[in-house]
Amino acid sequence: MKQFQKEFNALLEYWPDEDREFRELRLKAFDQFKKIGFPTKKWEEWQFTDFSLIKNSDFHLSWDSDIPTIPKNIPGRIQDTYLILIVNGHYQPQLSDIPDEVSVVKRKEHFKKNPELYSIESSSNPFLSLNTSMMNSGLPIYIKENAIIKRPLQIIYLTTNLSAKLMNHPRFSCQIGENAEATIIEHYTGSTSSPYFTNAVSSINLEKNSRLNHIRIQEEDLNSNHTAFTSYTLDNQSQLEATYISSGSLLFRHNVKLILKNKGANATVNGLSLTKTNQHHDQHIIVDHASDSCQSDQLFKYILSDRSSGVFNGKVIVREKTKQTNANQSNKNLLLSPNALMNANPQLEIYADDVKCSHGSTTGQIDSEALFYLRSRGISQQRAMELIVSGFAKDIIDYIKNTDIKSYISEYVFNWLEGSMKNV
Amino acid sequence: MLEIKNLHAGIDGKEILKGLDLTIKAGELHAIMGRNGSGKSTLANIITGRENYEVTSGTVKFNGNNILDMSPENRALEGIFMSFQYPVVIPGVNNTYFLRAALNSKLKHNELKEVNAADFMRLIREKLKLVEMDEKYLSRAVNDGFSGGEKKKNEILQMLTLEPQLSILDETDSGLDIDALRIIAQGVNNFRNSERSFLAITHYQRLLDHMKPDFIHVLIDGKIVKSGGMSLAQELEEKGYSWLEA
Repeated sequence: MKQFQKEFNALLEYWPDEDREFRELRLKAFDQFKKIGFPTKKWEEWQFTDFSLIKNSDFHLSWDSDIPTIPKNIPGRIQDTYLILIVNGHYQPQLSDIPDEVSVVKRKEHFKKNPELYSIESSSNPFLSLNTSMMNSGLPIYIKENAIIKRPLQIIYLTTNLSAKLMNHPRFSCQIGENAEATIIEHYTGSTSSPYFTNAVSSINLEKNSRLNHIRIQEEDLNSNHTAFTSYTLDNQSQLEATYISSGSLLFRHNVKLILKNKGANATVNGLSLTKTNQHHDQHIIVDHASDSCQSDQLFKYILSDRSSGVFNGKVIVREKTKQTNANQSNKNLLLSPNALMNANPQLEIYADDVKCSHGSTTGQIDSEALFYLRSRGISQQRAMELIVSGFAKDIIDYIKNTDIKSYISEYVFNWLEGSMKNV
Repeated sequence: MLEIKNLHAGIDGKEILKGLDLTIKAGELHAIMGRNGSGKSTLANIITGRENYEVTSGTVKFNGNNILDMSPENRALEGIFMSFQYPVVIPGVNNTYFLRAALNSKLKHNELKEVNAADFMRLIREKLKLVEMDEKYLSRAVNDGFSGGEKKKNEILQMLTLEPQLSILDETDSGLDIDALRIIAQGVNNFRNSERSFLAITHYQRLLDHMKPDFIHVLIDGKIVKSGGMSLAQELEEKGYSWLEA
């Protein structure tokens, strides 16, 4: 905690003439962070994840001196997309390419207009408080009403060439205007020999009748820790299709809170988590049906090899007096090693009658019948396992409609599988 | 082609086959009949190399080579095929992709040029007609959402594509309606030639009426107790198995 205090003080010194109200928010948030502290095994919602790696490490904030030479070929770049590039926490406007329909707003202005998006009062998540106190990168963007943006917008958070242990607290705020349509990729990637810590917060608002494809790719270096909080609010008739592909970080914790706030909103959230060595991926998803005629579908899959471990905790809440709710939640996990461990906990909290809900979770190994079937056709054991495992991941990938994103992710998942199946 | 001598084998320490002898020559179709639990499926599993079965004594030779230490994939590459009694659903693995992977595995083993996607489509469409299967089954995942009959046709489709020397038909007739049975029997009959051998495992005479096996064997308690021609099948249909039991 001392280290975080030190860095927080340094940050206040670094920006001495920051807006008064914004500074108050930072101070309040840091106080709250100190009060809450790091999660312990005794906290029910956090019990399966050990945060001592983050707590006991001496991460420091990124200053201007931490901007490295930017690599010519930006890793993870997806074809035919707009770009917002952030390197070691520093926005690179000269390398970014933003369409006219997207306006980038100053943080201070965004905060003044939407103070509720920065409120931490009702949250007990220490990483949200920490991010709010130290937010130092990421952008607020606004997609104009009626704008239909065909090309996806790729936001790359690259961590590279560190000279010391770095931490970043990117804050992405995104508002999709009425009737607007967009595809946004939040892409966290890193390659460095030094450990680092990313603590991201994204708050995404879909206004009436808007549509968002949100792709979140987490392929941080295995040296890193990544904690994240993503919140969505969906207005009338808006549609969200979100896909999370995560293979990076030694420790990954993602909290998602999705509120179907007004009538007829519709959300699909899919996730594929790929872990090896002693990686640990922990995802907590809350889907809150707060209005009538809303639909939510969740499909989360984990593929775990070596000694890696995963946690899936999904909760669907259907509020009192809501009508015509349709909610599905499915979690499927494939263990490639006897030493891999999965902890799944799907939950429903239903306070209304007019509800169609389904939920379920399964964890298993490669089906030995399927393996024998393929081998009995002359396909080698190794290849047969690759086929079965990539078949397991296929529905998540197939759900991605943009072909450039889909082909990037297919290749990425294929490479991961090829690299991880050799030891099985 | 296939030569089984004094085979003793079982699973989980329980002996199921108790000294089985069987020789199948090139071009022959043999049928094995018997009650549930007599060891018919165990025999098929041992020839194809399914894990967990233990052979305690005896030999199984294919083209003169002992196959008991070979992996299932190597047995397949050498020319052994089984049409599964319960074809397995493999979610997310495209049926065409799977069939081509299997064929290319075999072509590569035989040091032949692998087939590209376009040539394979031409080839598979031809084979599809032989089993009267709709093309839509090619774009689905392996056996996913197939009816019982389509699953069995898909097995025969694989046989026609991979062109094995020895095909084991494990209760291929079970769960089929009359039309599907006729199509499958026709598929097998057209595939027969002087080089290819078959071992059909069945409960019923109706498949045999279509296929006209050269030999019929009755398996009781892990041993072949009687062998004969088509007339034996008729006799079994009339009298059951009890007259052959000790």
